[in-house]
Amino acid sequence: MIKFGPVGKTIAYICLIALAFINLFPILMLFISSLKTTKEIFLTPLALPQVWSLKNYTQAWVKSNFITYFRNSAIVSVLSIGCIIMVTSMAAYVIARFKFPGRRALFLYLIAGIALPVKLAIIPIFLLMRDLHIQDTYLSLILVYTAGGVAFSMFLLVNFFKSLPRELEESAKIDGAGAFRIYWSIDLPLLKPALATVTIFNFIDVWNDFFFPLILINKKELRTIPLGIQIFYGEYNIQWNLLFAALNIAVIPILIVFVIMSRQFISGLTEGAVK
Amino acid sequence: MTAKVNVVHKEYAVKKHLYLLMIVPALVVYTLFAAYPFISSLSLSFFDWGGVGPKKFIGLQNYQMILHGILSQEFYRAVVHNAIYFIGTWALTIIPGLFFAFLLNSGLKGTNIFKIIFFFPNVLPIIVIGFLFSLLLNPQWGPINAFLRGIGLEALVRPWLGDVKFAFPTIIVISSWKMLGFYILVFLAAMLSVGKDQIEAARLDGASEMHIGWSIVLPHIFPTVVTLTILKFIGAFNVFDIVYAMEGTQAGPAGATDVLGTLFYRLAFGGLGSTAMGMGLGAAVVSLIFVIVFPLSILYVFILDRRMGGIE
Repeated sequence: MIKFGPVGKTIAYICLIALAFINLFPILMLFISSLKTTKEIFLTPLALPQVWSLKNYTQAWVKSNFITYFRNSAIVSVLSIGCIIMVTSMAAYVIARFKFPGRRALFLYLIAGIALPVKLAIIPIFLLMRDLHIQDTYLSLILVYTAGGVAFSMFLLVNFFKSLPRELEESAKIDGAGAFRIYWSIDLPLLKPALATVTIFNFIDVWNDFFFPLILINKKELRTIPLGIQIFYGEYNIQWNLLFAALNIAVIPILIVFVIMSRQFISGLTEGAVK
Repeated sequence: MTAKVNVVHKEYAVKKHLYLLMIVPALVVYTLFAAYPFISSLSLSFFDWGGVGPKKFIGLQNYQMILHGILSQEFYRAVVHNAIYFIGTWALTIIPGLFFAFLLNSGLKGTNIFKIIFFFPNVLPIIVIGFLFSLLLNPQWGPINAFLRGIGLEALVRPWLGDVKFAFPTIIVISSWKMLGFYILVFLAAMLSVGKDQIEAARLDGASEMHIGWSIVLPHIFPTVVTLTILKFIGAFNVFDIVYAMEGTQAGPAGATDVLGTLFYRLAFGGLGSTAMGMGLGAAVVSLIFVIVFPLSILYVFILDRRMGGIE
């Protein structure tokens, strides 16, 4: 920790407040503008609304299909993260606890994906989904997100396993418990903190992803929030008041969750890079 | 007692292969939907194919077209843009990231609030940020221009996203705006792991705070700078969403914001005002991105492996 003198402190606060302003200004404008009429937005872009009204929100809500978008995003995120946790925690357990030939190579292969964005492989993914007849389904997204989540989650979990004591496992082994039993009843509960990190990291990725729904989803009723926002933006591109309201509808839930759980979010999202 | 343990061991030996089943789901889904598509993409780049019907093997013709033929101008322009994007976002995240991490590491009051305020753009979808800023930068009424006028910086007012010279730098600034908080907090976390004793000892020796920051803290977090630089490079050559959200698939004005991601998208899937030219060509662009990024990916995995001390 570096200590500042009184002058240094003042300068530090000025810099911090300046950056806070730069960060908050766009969001402030987003909230204010969403309460104004198109005319107000056009004539007095910086002013507060003359009448505080949620009319834009009700209109945007009616004209779009946000309920469906939210439902889709929730289904895809929950199932993807459930799959990621299931498959990677099992695999990480085996890699961390058993010795077998090729183990190291397997581990490096599984974590190589951290540095290779799955996005790059979109054409074959697109074709694969088509050939498997699961294009335009939740399943296609869930599979891609699970595959994309394996690498980082594996890395994190195998690392975490190193800090877990083996004594409980050993005594369970002597009592005759099989590998799956040991994983399920001893290690899984101990993994909780690491699984929380895996959840938050993947949740932000999956919930916010625009690219894969853009390419894999055509059906209106399967659009996720980012895709829905894009469609809405195209349809109402000069009704700014509605656009601001729609962007808010997309942003508010995740902001609320973030503010409530900011500590977990911050550690979850920064952990991978620090390690 | 030993006899019992031996029996258990034998039973365990029978089940020896069963535990490997637990790796299968991860291995299969990862191989099928992440690893295999990469290989498949490489092989696809040697074919002329519209996505349906028979594929026609054409050797290196797709690459020929991209590197020396009719697409070369677009391709090299995109590569340059990706490189500029890397340098620009690097300078606007790593350097201020270090600076603000230093400030937050000095025990000032309100640090936690600042952390939250700095970090929140990271949890927003990039597509929403793109749309939000294209509204805020609207040339007729956008609040950002209005604000600049308000504080007497009339000379800076311009149609940011419609200006050939300023559109791409604007995108770079906005995407840095989104990411800066992440860098600040990663650096801060790294700084918190500097040994307190080391700093105290330096202080007792009469070292100035500036000197401590420069010669103890900075070297300590240097590995983090390297890691983030590698990740930033890989990310910079894959950028797509923000350009798509702010300038569309044509990456206007006049291609001034075109990057490999948008070029790829137009070739493989078409876009407003252009038809798809073929999956093979798209795959070739992806393979070239892969060639650019791959050495750093390998390096990164190597660093990760070494830093965690392998799996033993």
